[in-house]
Amino acid sequence: MLPEAEYGAIQSDSYIDALLKAHARLPVPLPTASSAPQPGVRHVIRLLERGLPRFHPSFLFEERLAEQLRAMAAQGPTAAPVLVIDRRLLFGGAIASGFSIAGAAMVAWRRRPQQASRD
Amino acid sequence: MLRRGRDRGESVPVDVDVERSAVEAARRDPRAFEALYRKYVAQVYNFALYELRDQHAAEDLTAQVFMRALAGLARFREQADAPHSSFRPWLFQIARHALANERRRVRRHPEAALDLALELAASDDVAATATERVEARRALRAISSLPADRRRALVLRFVNEMSTREIGAVLGRSEGATRVLIHRSLQAVARQLGGGTEQRSSPQGARGRSAH
Repeated sequence: MLPEAEYGAIQSDSYIDALLKAHARLPVPLPTASSAPQPGVRHVIRLLERGLPRFHPSFLFEERLAEQLRAMAAQGPTAAPVLVIDRRLLFGGAIASGFSIAGAAMVAWRRRPQQASRD
Repeated sequence: MLRRGRDRGESVPVDVDVERSAVEAARRDPRAFEALYRKYVAQVYNFALYELRDQHAAEDLTAQVFMRALAGLARFREQADAPHSSFRPWLFQIARHALANERRRVRRHPEAALDLALELAASDDVAATATERVEARRALRAISSLPADRRRALVLRFVNEMSTREIGAVLGRSEGATRVLIHRSLQAVARQLGGGTEQRSSPQGARGRSAH
């Protein structure tokens, strides 16, 4: 005799399998009243099976990564993975530009009083 | 970024022979790895997005996973006795380890982006009633509050449609222990959703949904 938790777990698992296979249009034995999980769990299973969204990465990201993988594969199996994300370069560039502008502003600000005092 | 449904074939169970051939081909010639990448990129991205809750962080993690997988493909070994190819669990083990590193590196977990996406997804389903949409959102929040292993098990089971054996391989548990973990996670979500579930899950409703 299986412990209650394991019995319930097997019931839940079969029920999830049945729902997922039904979506894939595969033959599946319909769960009977005695083999179905408790109503509360059954409700959650149906909710998650229907309600959890699936996401896709953006086309640009997928293609960019495919390109990087192709380049890595062409270098041979021992090539060390090098992750280059353009977004970071852009972000880094923006920060660098920010520092440059801030630096130029600081120099201008420090020079201005000296010039003014000379006048 | 956001698309609902099962329109790219990832819900179709893995054909063992085709999968093993594809992995073998990639081991012989790394250029053949692209077929495996195309097949699993959305699944790995989903796993990362549910965990990190940020689109850019999920993209970075996905990139790391596939680069590590390609670099380490020579070390991968199929399990002869497994009914499914063990490539997918191996790939998600890499994702799990990469995620652990990411968690150590970044302690901050932005939530707004994914929450917004989930809200949109939940409201996007025209077939669902308003009550179902509200309940789906509550279920998503309940999952988010679960401990990591429970949350991951549910995402791998329902979003990536992995078998309990595959999930066990990813999480480092036996098949039986994984089944119990998922069952307890479902019970926890049911408790969080509160009363009234018996009324909603009438036998008529169950037949209606499981028939499609």
